[in-house]
Amino acid sequence: MVRIAWRSLTAHKLRTILTVLAILLGVAMISGTYVLTDQIDRGFKQVFTDAYKGTDVTVTRQAKFSGQLTGATEGLPEDMVKQVDAVDGVAESFGYVAGMGAVAVDGKVVETGGSPTLFFSYSPNDIAPPQYIAGRPPEQSGEVAIIQKLAQDKKLAPGSSITVITGDGAHEATVSGVFKFAAQSSLGGSLLIHTTLADAQSWFGMEGRLSEIDVKAEAGVSADTLAKRVRAALPAYADVKTGAQAAADQTKALSDAIGAFLRPVLLSFGGIAVLVGAFIIFNAFSMTVAQRRREFAMLRALGASRAQVLWSITGEAFVMGVLASVIGLFAGLGVAAGVNQVFQAAGVDIPRSGLVLQPRTIVIALAVGIVITLLSAVIPAQRATRVPPMAALQEGAQLPPSKFARFMPALAVVVAILGGLLIAGGMYGPGGTMVRLGTIAFGAVLVFVAVAIASRYFVGPLAAALGWPIQKIAPISGRLARDNSRRNPSRTALTAAALMIGLAVVVFVAVLAQGLKSSFIDSYDRTVRADFVVASKNFMTIPTDTATKVQSVEGVETAVSLDAQQVQAKNGSLPVVWGIDPNAIERVWSFDWITGSDAVLTKLGTDGAIVEEQTAASLGVKQGGTIKVTTVEGKEATLEVLGIYRDPMMLNGITVSSSGYAALFPTPQTFMVVAKAQPGADLAATKKGIEAALASTPTAEVQTAEEYKKGTVDLVNQLLMLIYGLLALSVIISLFGIVNTLVLAVYERTREIGLVRAIGMSRGQVRATVRYESVITSIIGAIMGIVVGVVFAWVVTTRFAGQGITFSIPGVQLVVFVLLAIVVGVIAAILPARRAAKIDILEAIHYE
Amino acid sequence: MAAHTKGEDVSDNVETTIVMNGDAAPATCEAGTTIGLPDAVVQARGVERDYGQGDALVRALAGVDIDLQRGAYTAIMGPSGSGKSTLMHILAGLDRPTAGSVWIDGQEITTLKERALTQLRRDQIGFIFQTFNLLPTLTAAENITLPLTIAGRKGDQDWVEELVKTVGLGDRLTHKPSELSGGQQQRVAVARALASRPAVLFADEPTGNLDSRTGEEVLQLLRHSRDAMGQTIVMVTHDAHAATYADRIVFLKDGAIAHDCGRLGRDDIYDVIKSLEDA
Repeated sequence: MVRIAWRSLTAHKLRTILTVLAILLGVAMISGTYVLTDQIDRGFKQVFTDAYKGTDVTVTRQAKFSGQLTGATEGLPEDMVKQVDAVDGVAESFGYVAGMGAVAVDGKVVETGGSPTLFFSYSPNDIAPPQYIAGRPPEQSGEVAIIQKLAQDKKLAPGSSITVITGDGAHEATVSGVFKFAAQSSLGGSLLIHTTLADAQSWFGMEGRLSEIDVKAEAGVSADTLAKRVRAALPAYADVKTGAQAAADQTKALSDAIGAFLRPVLLSFGGIAVLVGAFIIFNAFSMTVAQRRREFAMLRALGASRAQVLWSITGEAFVMGVLASVIGLFAGLGVAAGVNQVFQAAGVDIPRSGLVLQPRTIVIALAVGIVITLLSAVIPAQRATRVPPMAALQEGAQLPPSKFARFMPALAVVVAILGGLLIAGGMYGPGGTMVRLGTIAFGAVLVFVAVAIASRYFVGPLAAALGWPIQKIAPISGRLARDNSRRNPSRTALTAAALMIGLAVVVFVAVLAQGLKSSFIDSYDRTVRADFVVASKNFMTIPTDTATKVQSVEGVETAVSLDAQQVQAKNGSLPVVWGIDPNAIERVWSFDWITGSDAVLTKLGTDGAIVEEQTAASLGVKQGGTIKVTTVEGKEATLEVLGIYRDPMMLNGITVSSSGYAALFPTPQTFMVVAKAQPGADLAATKKGIEAALASTPTAEVQTAEEYKKGTVDLVNQLLMLIYGLLALSVIISLFGIVNTLVLAVYERTREIGLVRAIGMSRGQVRATVRYESVITSIIGAIMGIVVGVVFAWVVTTRFAGQGITFSIPGVQLVVFVLLAIVVGVIAAILPARRAAKIDILEAIHYE
Repeated sequence: MAAHTKGEDVSDNVETTIVMNGDAAPATCEAGTTIGLPDAVVQARGVERDYGQGDALVRALAGVDIDLQRGAYTAIMGPSGSGKSTLMHILAGLDRPTAGSVWIDGQEITTLKERALTQLRRDQIGFIFQTFNLLPTLTAAENITLPLTIAGRKGDQDWVEELVKTVGLGDRLTHKPSELSGGQQQRVAVARALASRPAVLFADEPTGNLDSRTGEEVLQLLRHSRDAMGQTIVMVTHDAHAATYADRIVFLKDGAIAHDCGRLGRDDIYDVIKSLEDA
């Protein structure tokens, strides 16, 4: 029986290759995800471990929480270094200031692809001496040292000039030296800059303060012991850790950011690919089992037991699964490199180490590939065992109907309901985000399965309808294609269903993105009355004095700074607090009030706040209530709610006056300046004026309202392209499924093809017949995918209606998807059509 | 007897087409050449067909010359392996000879490219096979007009109606082949082969899969198409009864023409076959 399984595999090489490919690609995606994220993890780990190599103890300001818009803490007083030095067992210590900003060369900001440009003050020390490869560390004010990659990319050397842009504004500086950090020439896309301590303190608003103190222990004193002693000597707000702990914490913070986002996202694309592969394997085995019906009957007639037939087929599946998993595992290395390329093309540069192939990756890849293949093959295999020995003597290739055939419609309904309940449970039920997303995903898989089961009942009419226009164009090949696609509805249904899955997710994402774009534009148009928006690319901060500079430009009526930082609320959420000028804001901003009015703006004072509807709902506050918030440094404040407004896209969170904001946070963190022109002012000239005023700080980009909207929409589109790129894999896999089905269909119809050829059908017409059948199948898949995707998107947008995503169907894109499906169909048909056209008429006529 | 004969043995047999050994042949069989007939719609000269090569070389046809007259109903007979099916396939342009030429309606088909051959099959040739003659997804009526649909032509509607009437399917025309009897299916196949008014209709064992009663219906239909419509027919068969419907019977042996006879009764046919098998 093993030999029969093996012979069957090698006898149908194309079928085996296509089926193996179907599961292989999904496995490759999963293994690639682990390889890539492990590489990134280890890349960060190396960097931080090296960075803290000589450091036994670190002291920082305690941070209450960490969020994306968390601001810098107030830091430590400069003289704390003396307190630390006084601790018994300290050999050496030094403090430094760290901050984020940007650098510009020749007036142009150096792009980092979303990675930060990090500044560190440099003090001579023996703890973590940087490796200088040219020049020397900065010694005088206005001197900076730069990381090797920046020097190479921008052709900088000691003596070159460079502009440093921080929250404080632009500063001209001279390069004093070039160094490697932690033995690395670069840190992913991040840039590292060394400055003098005094410059860093001044540029980052840290006068008299330090970000961190690093300590080296005397010989014989362990890091743990020293950490305890230092902690005892310092005030409670100081966070004391061993160097190893600090490295581990920072690695973990970044790894968690990846673990919480990149890995699950990439894995879910892998999961979709595997699901599509499972459909194709199920279909491939169903088809071949039907085709080999007489062979199984003969084996049974020769005395093979049902179990032997079952083992023969599952054995075949097992070999395919092993083959696919092993190749997929190693193909994953390529996928890891490929996905990284995709990210880099999208402007995201992540540091990563060399190849990492952990045992965990190998186990998961093999398990997924083999288990999924076996599971997908077991039902067709079970049906093969039901072939009676008598069938060996009969014509035809119909399998006996499954025992459960008549329960199929009921099963589809039950599975659909179950899937729907899981989705609903995931969206409205309790539990953590990951659990809920997992529940929703599982529900979605069940819905896909239900649609696939049900589709055999509507594929016939659908194929007839789609075939009708084709038949009008090509009377004979169209007609035959239309008939052929309806001959075995469950086969066409499953083949189309594989394409449906990938397209449903594509459509789902497209509809959500469309909703996001249109509600952003809608929200912007409703609330923002400004003519200009000044912001940095990549949502980085811009200099604090930008608003002042813009205000002074001729033609500008009002310029308002929008500052933002996150706080922690009582329920653990991290709402954004926006700081605005309460006297000027109403000239550039039109609040969509639910309760309250513009009149409350001037009454905000230092402890008043207006709250966006969603945040108010999640915090459970109404007008007149209060919100307790904690800043990252642990400062607590109680804000009185004076009004509730609706603005899910722009000022979502809590809005306070600039004085209230200053009372909460030590540094402003300006994200945006919105400005309105004077009535009758020449907008183009005013824009030029603003640009000129901001020439020294090129991170701040001036955009008209239209440009800003377009820029944001472009950003969403860019993300959309990234997702489409990742989903393309699933579509390619379903293409293999169509090829597989068509090759088998052509093989089964050899005699028919010979007959029509004998009575005058040209090769071109035969090819067209296969092509049209393929296109009919792929359009069915597209229609199913669009319907399911739109329904999913509708459900999700309805649930999250308040959070700014409206339900909006991107009509043009849906048409493009259908055209894309047609292209998929045409491509999938190339090989089977060629095979069909090559069929020798004489052989076909005598073919059994 | 050997089903196939090797190359060198065959050269002798080629002679037999010219120098007939008339001993066993009935009086109606002509001795001598089978070519040079007036108004020949199919002409073959020196047709040879080898399969395989080296030691495995099999010579299926060893130099056949034949003319088929317009409006003639010819049966090709011969023992298994005599090359009768191969000859028909080559005459119909389904197979290419190793050497020699074939003309249909004055056009040499042995040098035609694939595209032109397809065109030839559409316009000038009709086929009836032993089994699996119809497309299962099309109705009987659609099967009949299939060659016209393939060619993208409306065709002669009166002609198609007349064919349908002749086939005598009545209300079963809208049925799928699986709902028709074997005889009905084969009659549909005959009508389909006639639909494009081909120059020649080739039938490969048209009654091979039918019982004698339904086989009779098909044979009568073929005869009718010859008598009423003047259709040229070439039928390969090993059924002596089927061959009695033909105006001319060509006997093949070892890839060459052994006898070329006129109308024969069943007993005469048996005699010829017996003489071929004994020889």
